Amino acid sequence: MNGEAILPYLIIIPLFGAFAMPIVNLAGKKARDAWAVLISALTFIISSVIFYHIWNTGEIIVYTLGAETPFGQGVDFPIRIVWEVDLFGAIMVFIVAFVSLMAVIYSIGYMKHDTGLDKYYTLILILELGMLGIAITGDLFNFYVFLEIMSIASYALVAFRNDTWEGIEAGIKYMFVGSIASAFVLLSVALLYGQYGTLTMGYLAVKIVQNPTVTAKVALALFIAGLLFKSGASPVHMWLADAHPAAPSSISAMLSGLVIKIGGIYAIARILFSIYTPMAHSIVLKAYLQPHINMSAIGWVIIIFACLTLIIGNAMAVIQTDMKRLLAYSSVGQIGYILLGLGISIAAYGTQTGEIALAGAIYHTVNHALMKALLFLVAGVVIHQLGTRNLNELSGLAKTMPKTTFAFLIGAAAIVGMPPLNGFASKWLIYESSAIFNPILGAIAIIGTAFCTAAYVRVLYTFFGRPSEKVMAAKDPETSMMLPMLLLVLAIIVMGLLPWQISDKVMIPAARMLEQFRFEYINALMSLVGGA
Amino acid sequence: MDVMANIVYPVAGLIGLYAFVSLASLVWEGIDRKLVARMQRRVGPPLLQPLYDFFKLASKETIIPNTANFMFRAAPILALATAIALLAYTPMGFAPLLASKGDVIVFIYLLTLIGFFKILGGISSGSPYAKIGAAREAAIMVSREPAMMLALFAILWRLGKLRVNKPFSMEVFYQYNIWEIGTPLSLVGAVILLYVFVIWLASEIEVGYFNIPDAEEEIAEGLLAEYSGRYLALLKLTKALKTYIAASLVVAIFFPWGIADYFNLTGLPANVVNLLFHTLKVFILLFAVQSVFRATTGRLKITQAVGFLWKNVFLASLIGALLIAMEVIM
Repeated sequence: MNGEAILPYLIIIPLFGAFAMPIVNLAGKKARDAWAVLISALTFIISSVIFYHIWNTGEIIVYTLGAETPFGQGVDFPIRIVWEVDLFGAIMVFIVAFVSLMAVIYSIGYMKHDTGLDKYYTLILILELGMLGIAITGDLFNFYVFLEIMSIASYALVAFRNDTWEGIEAGIKYMFVGSIASAFVLLSVALLYGQYGTLTMGYLAVKIVQNPTVTAKVALALFIAGLLFKSGASPVHMWLADAHPAAPSSISAMLSGLVIKIGGIYAIARILFSIYTPMAHSIVLKAYLQPHINMSAIGWVIIIFACLTLIIGNAMAVIQTDMKRLLAYSSVGQIGYILLGLGISIAAYGTQTGEIALAGAIYHTVNHALMKALLFLVAGVVIHQLGTRNLNELSGLAKTMPKTTFAFLIGAAAIVGMPPLNGFASKWLIYESSAIFNPILGAIAIIGTAFCTAAYVRVLYTFFGRPSEKVMAAKDPETSMMLPMLLLVLAIIVMGLLPWQISDKVMIPAARMLEQFRFEYINALMSLVGGA
Repeated sequence: MDVMANIVYPVAGLIGLYAFVSLASLVWEGIDRKLVARMQRRVGPPLLQPLYDFFKLASKETIIPNTANFMFRAAPILALATAIALLAYTPMGFAPLLASKGDVIVFIYLLTLIGFFKILGGISSGSPYAKIGAAREAAIMVSREPAMMLALFAILWRLGKLRVNKPFSMEVFYQYNIWEIGTPLSLVGAVILLYVFVIWLASEIEVGYFNIPDAEEEIAEGLLAEYSGRYLALLKLTKALKTYIAASLVVAIFFPWGIADYFNLTGLPANVVNLLFHTLKVFILLFAVQSVFRATTGRLKITQAVGFLWKNVFLASLIGALLIAMEVIM
């Protein structure tokens, strides 16, 4: 199948779905819900086809908007917007579409009692659209636009329940902080454009290699600063701990499972590996004593933030009494692991340790998206059925909501990293590489996990305890809310049974393609020169 | 045949081991009770008493408390299943059935998981006594495992330096043992670690000082307060299996020698003879750690036990591990 031919539908379908929503809404509630499910299911199908295509052929899809080739007539540099999808991008596309589909199905039951749902579904499709756009774009300004689409949709969704004080408060906080972060990103895009005169990522990489100026370094610093904000790394994770609990739970699942990864982790990885090409800077230019950017130092900057994030996030999760806040802090902690893997892969670039770390980071991104989505959906069910998030009131939930508690048990065991579930393999890759790279980092990672275990065991302790008065009247939710949880549990268990196969067949190739030892990302673009 | 070697033989072996170990561990419990009775100048129960107890319990009516949730019923089964799975990773006179690189982590994980399931089952009953027992069990568990892990990893790491083909596997103990290194430092270290493992074993099977989570006089058998009938039977069997498995680990580390070679046996007969000899060693070790310790000492307070495990045992483990590692590091 031709990958380029179907790539645009990844954007067209959710865009069409979102813009048609106000009209479809006129046909009634059922049509609206069905339309949202249909659109996200179609998007999921497209995304799986694209993922399978790239995984199967191992090629990088390059799609040019509006012409055959991004290179204009008579000029040898790209002038059009390109979309460029490698395996990491395809994995993100797949997981974004999957979790979004789960969240949309879940919303049918969960959001039943809210008003303004046509806007809700429009926003949720726009959010998905923004995330898909970030994953597939190969153009820096296009990236910024999709980042803003995603961010603005998520500000609106966090504050969706605008009759609650905390929704508004968290929304404002998130919006102010997120706007500053976006401004950083925009500023660095402007700096790079001013210096190098191009916005195509692959071509920009070539220009930076030819002339690594101070501007490029400043732009990189601004990128990392802005995107660490978006990923919720410490010390700028404070918005996350408010925004995720305040949002409707289906949205929390998307925010925690997807937004912080695609807008933070994926974007950082893309910029570091595809624009700043550590292959050129850490190995080639360094060997010839040419001016280059010290990528290893940048790796260490990320590692330091990762260690902070790891400890602070997980330790703060232990002391929470609000269930969703606990999960939000746990997300911060898990982002720490992913950043740790990412940082090590840059600092130890070119070694096998670096590759394992990167594969572990990608793997954990996927795994964490699944398990955190599941945990937030469970939290949503609890809130929906009982009207409280206070853990002290939820004692004995297992008695009256056994299926929900079972789902939570699986999610918690997976996030702690218990062997038969998917969290184990990805965390193992990160532990292993960090212990080889620097034993102190390995120890920090283990300490983080100890905190994480304490946090979740405490919740389990509450759930399985003596049923409280409040809990006795509860029961398991309706099918539309159970089904996504069931599917996520299944995904976690199945992925847990095939950990090393997935690692070898998907994650390691993705890491290799991202590392671009042979400049694959740049070559995929440059191969189109003169193609018109 | 691949299917035979990879699936049929291990499964058959696991079933055989399970049958043997259930019997042996229950018989040991009978011997233990008899020995302790004799130490206290009583006649004591017959040797097969634990078997009679098991069948009696299994045939009795099972009462489920109103406040219990699904985990109350699932936990005994999961705990027993974990213990059976653990048998495949336990060295018992010969290399474990599923010996592979790094299987020590699976061993520790499964061994801890049994305790975890027990805790889950206890708190799922809704009884406050069980909850107290669970809190105690968790405190002891967190305190006792680090000392053991440090010691075990130090030993395996040291033996791994002797060029074994499966580092960090339980199989290593039957290729080299800790006494073979032979330098004075390592000998002293090994003796210290033996002390660590003996105390760990006592706390793992909760006898003597460490009979805290189940303390029947104070908190009505703690974790097991609400269990009755066949679930109690399952839990008792699990406990017996766990006792045998934990003792097997200590025997494999410190006394791994087999006797099959002296009779020129190979294949299955060798394994059977080694298994029987291993069982004998397990019984002797348990006699020292379980029977004598149980008969001669009382229970500590939970805070004392936690303090003892961290300040005394973990420290000893640290010193022993350093002594073992010394000559490689320097």
